[in-house]
Amino acid sequence: MSGFFERIAGKLKSYREPGYYTKLDHKWTMVIDLDKCNGCEACVVSCYAENNLPVVGKEECEKSRAFSWLRIERYVEGEYPDVKVKFIPVMCQHCMKAPCETGCPVYATYHNQDGLNVQVYNRCVGTFTCATYCTYDVRRFNWFTYKWPKPLEAQLNPDVSVREMGVMEKCTFCIQRIRAAKDKAKDEGKDVQDGDIKPACSQSCPTGAIYFGDLQDPNSVVAKLAKSPRRYRLLEELNADPSVIYLKRVMGDGNSSHE
Amino acid sequence: MKKLILYAVVGGIAFIIGYFVNYQLFSDRAPVQPINFSHKIHAGDNQIQCQYCHIYAERSRVSGVPNVKRCMGCHQIIKTDSPEIQKVASYWDKKEPIPWVKVYNLPDHVYFPHKRHVRAGLDCKNCHGDVATMARIEKVSSLQMGWCLSCHSKKEVKNGSDCWTCHK
Amino acid sequence: MKRRDFLKFIGIGGVGAGAGFVLGKVSKPPGAKLIPYLIPPEDIVPGVATWYASACTQCGAGCGTLVRVMEGRAKKIEGNPAHPVNRGGLCAMGQSSVQALYNPDRITKPLKRKGPRGSGDYTEITWDEALKTLAENLTELKSKGNSDKLHLLTSPLSGTLDKLVREFVSAFGSTNYSHYGLFQRKNLAFANLSAMGTASVPHYDIENTKYLLSFGADFSSTWVSPVNYSNGYGKMRQGAGERGKLVQVEPRLSLTGANADEWVPAKPGTEALLALAIANTIVEKGLAKDGGAWRGVLSRYKAKDVASICDVSVERIEAIAVEFAHTRPSLAIAGDSVSSYENGIAGAIAVNILNQVAGNIGVTVIPNGDDLGGGRRVDFSKKISTLIAAANADKVKALIVYGANPVFTTPKAAKLEDALSKVPFIASFSSFMDETTAQADLILPAHTSLEDWGDDFPDPGVGAPVASIIQPAVGPVFETKSLGDIFIELAKAVGGNAAGKITAPNFAEYLKSSWKELYSRNREMAAGTLGFEDFWNKTLQNGGWWGPPRKRTATVSARASEHLTGGPARFEGEEGQYPFYLIPYAQTAYMDGRGANLPWLQELPDPMTSVVWGTWVEINPKTAEKLGLKEGDMVNVESPFGKISAPVYLYPGIRPDTVAVPIGQGHSHYGRYAKGRGANPIEILPYNEDPRSGEAALNSTRVRITRGGSGERMVKMEGSTKELGRGIVQTVSTSEFKRMKKEGV
Repeated sequence: MSGFFERIAGKLKSYREPGYYTKLDHKWTMVIDLDKCNGCEACVVSCYAENNLPVVGKEECEKSRAFSWLRIERYVEGEYPDVKVKFIPVMCQHCMKAPCETGCPVYATYHNQDGLNVQVYNRCVGTFTCATYCTYDVRRFNWFTYKWPKPLEAQLNPDVSVREMGVMEKCTFCIQRIRAAKDKAKDEGKDVQDGDIKPACSQSCPTGAIYFGDLQDPNSVVAKLAKSPRRYRLLEELNADPSVIYLKRVMGDGNSSHE
Repeated sequence: MKKLILYAVVGGIAFIIGYFVNYQLFSDRAPVQPINFSHKIHAGDNQIQCQYCHIYAERSRVSGVPNVKRCMGCHQIIKTDSPEIQKVASYWDKKEPIPWVKVYNLPDHVYFPHKRHVRAGLDCKNCHGDVATMARIEKVSSLQMGWCLSCHSKKEVKNGSDCWTCHK
Repeated sequence: MKRRDFLKFIGIGGVGAGAGFVLGKVSKPPGAKLIPYLIPPEDIVPGVATWYASACTQCGAGCGTLVRVMEGRAKKIEGNPAHPVNRGGLCAMGQSSVQALYNPDRITKPLKRKGPRGSGDYTEITWDEALKTLAENLTELKSKGNSDKLHLLTSPLSGTLDKLVREFVSAFGSTNYSHYGLFQRKNLAFANLSAMGTASVPHYDIENTKYLLSFGADFSSTWVSPVNYSNGYGKMRQGAGERGKLVQVEPRLSLTGANADEWVPAKPGTEALLALAIANTIVEKGLAKDGGAWRGVLSRYKAKDVASICDVSVERIEAIAVEFAHTRPSLAIAGDSVSSYENGIAGAIAVNILNQVAGNIGVTVIPNGDDLGGGRRVDFSKKISTLIAAANADKVKALIVYGANPVFTTPKAAKLEDALSKVPFIASFSSFMDETTAQADLILPAHTSLEDWGDDFPDPGVGAPVASIIQPAVGPVFETKSLGDIFIELAKAVGGNAAGKITAPNFAEYLKSSWKELYSRNREMAAGTLGFEDFWNKTLQNGGWWGPPRKRTATVSARASEHLTGGPARFEGEEGQYPFYLIPYAQTAYMDGRGANLPWLQELPDPMTSVVWGTWVEINPKTAEKLGLKEGDMVNVESPFGKISAPVYLYPGIRPDTVAVPIGQGHSHYGRYAKGRGANPIEILPYNEDPRSGEAALNSTRVRITRGGSGERMVKMEGSTKELGRGIVQTVSTSEFKRMKKEGV
């Protein structure tokens, strides 16, 4: 009997070669310059369009069931007339030590070889565990099978599944675009170059605040920006090791102009 | 009373067997098509290359079901007296596409590019069987995930067992 | 076992298996169909996306787009990275145009009115019948010598389409073709015409500005060319050079104001005075470029006199003036909140003068030259008030509407609906049942821009000639027709002069020959091409043609100062009775109301309040406390002209004496997503427009707030607006950032 279990354990081990989690093919990273972001929300609509996010309506919005994988958070400090407003786009941070991954009983969320935290829809059974473990509140649950009134469904992106009731979902860093870029690179017989991949949010950003690339490539734009003294990560003290790097907003210290 | 339960159990087991017999053995492996198209004649006897008709296989995710114009390209001249060809011609005259029945069907959450497999040098036969001998096209692979993975691990495909390699 | 029992088991087993077999057969989904192409389109590979370069027509900015098409369906709209206006970005509204294309509430066929006007009760008719009915009405008009009683009201069309419509109208014998839109920025154009000689918005080079003084210009969301300005803003903040500074003057903190380094909440209606006081301070302190010419005019606007009127301290005015003059290059822009008063032109001119004395004209303000001759024409004599007056005087016998929705965007006080009821025949070419279209007797639905041909000559440009092409990315979804084709077919049906003048077989040909003309006029276009066909193919591939930047300059003429007014703008309603200024503003998603029928935009949280699917009233928390109001309380907003109700949102970024309501909701028609949702603040405005330009004066009434009223409750997406010490959005101070840059870390 013990031999049987050992055989299974051996099989499971061979599935993950040694160093699977430390040696990655790529380490996709997003850098968001908060000094450029003006909170216009073009990225939010772009995400809806690219990833087949359903519109749930007012009632469901009230229950916090809106689907935006990417949201702009806004914080207000001070009272009239000294009001300071700050914006920050928040999406799945693709943590390298993701709390959500430890929770899933069916391994529907895991880390892949590109350093992405991915969600396998057809494996998910909807226990909601990952969403409760998530530090950043970026996971969205399909409470229903949402319908698109005809002919709105003609817009749905065929590269992305339309999820059904009972499935958890979240930002994928537009993995279908990563896949398409790799596919194209393979056809051309080379590796994916810096700038080949632009997630929908980054592509549409009017101010150019969202950068995307491979942190393992020392010459990539994100690798350079990641060294900026303005760099920080969201709730870094929780040690989830997120893959989204923010660059601090420059905000006046009152009389800065007369220095 | 005991007997009644026994009857129910026997009936139930028979029901389940009947269901699965239908599912496994009569599972539309070779559905009847609107036109009695024979791969044997085309790919077998006349040795037409697969990609002569399935033109997108090397360029796209889908291999492409041949357009009606492509059929008529040859059959305007060849075998115009055959009743099956006349059916094709009538679709063409009505300017209607032919409603072929799908044999190989993948669910929405699977990303399967023909292009990558063809370009990797895989022969169509590997998955579709020897269509050159099939008078009516027949499904020979289960298209179940285990079937995909067995080949991926045998050929040592890079990240071949990663979920998001094939799921979307 | 008995033989009987055995047989019984066999029997039961057989029946069970048979039933199982049948159930299995029945429960199986029917085989999916594989539908081939009849004839494969040349440029389509199934499963591979095709990208068409085109231009966005959701607002007037004219951003270049790339439309991703798969199997003949538009999947996504992205900004064209090569287009000089938007350089790859695209705003929320532009990206939603795909939902306009596939909107479930589009008008799918020509319609003829059955019920009373405004009821929305129509019967479907064929295109032949629709065109015939319209043509008969027009020929009847003509035969009675009433050609000039045909009025055409459209959204601000540009380029070849505008040319075709103009040709049609004049060949028919009418002069009444007017453009109308709520945010047409005619005041800005008028001010620039009188100050710099061109009736258009100049190119503002925000990218290279180091001190941007914005008078209520919400360029991050809706003002003039948001994507172009946002792109410049990003580079101004974190570009190659030193970080630029943004100062925002406005009574209600807009999205752009929220990003500003300083917010100057001047009293509503006094922004023009503040601009002039800043200009005067620059002149007085001897910092002006050519102070002498302006000393006389500006001396009336001394900082110490103006300060109390504007509610901005003298020190602050002086500090802004000094910094504005010293920081090179600087730029002042006049947005909606300065130009939406009854004397909005004065505000826009004041800002021009400020730019002149600071020496910004020709540096960061690059006047627009309509090099290619296709730009939007601004006709100041054509106003909505002239249409209303004409209708009331029975001078409008037939009205054709396209793109504009004046029934929704003019105040109730204008009594536009009464005037329209006197027009015997109204036709609409809109593809959506908006409020104006619901008044029509005949509807001939036109394509949306993703199905149609067209071109666009963006105004404001980018300091360089730009001509964009709009090409059909997908085939028509419904039985609609190209707008150009409707006019061409109408010209043929009407006959006479119109048929003689417009001879092109269809609009696609008309457009091409118009570009051929443009090509033969323009040597820059011809350079590097092998004749017109080659140029045309390249244009279709690139989404248009754009030339090298041109340095243009101008001098603000001192004569422009004749339009200045000495005091603050006038507000209707007595202060005692109506204690609050009302600011109705254009919101990111809905703009002038056109975005309300698109589900993505309805569910897009407002960037400042996070409210979705509705209208809200922004009130300063202190004011609300005084009135005893909590967030979400339903209130009546009452002006001397009417009353609307909406829930309260406590907004710290607004003056305590001001309330603000976003425009865009409160539709009585316009599809399932828009209809019967929220309230429309335009309804309660006085019927005021700047008499010189015809631009609506949105900020021109006071209101009172009373508890009560009915309406939908407010749903907002935000949790806490406070960080509660979590350090979510971290900041560095300006001086710290300077140090970082200096040390090169």
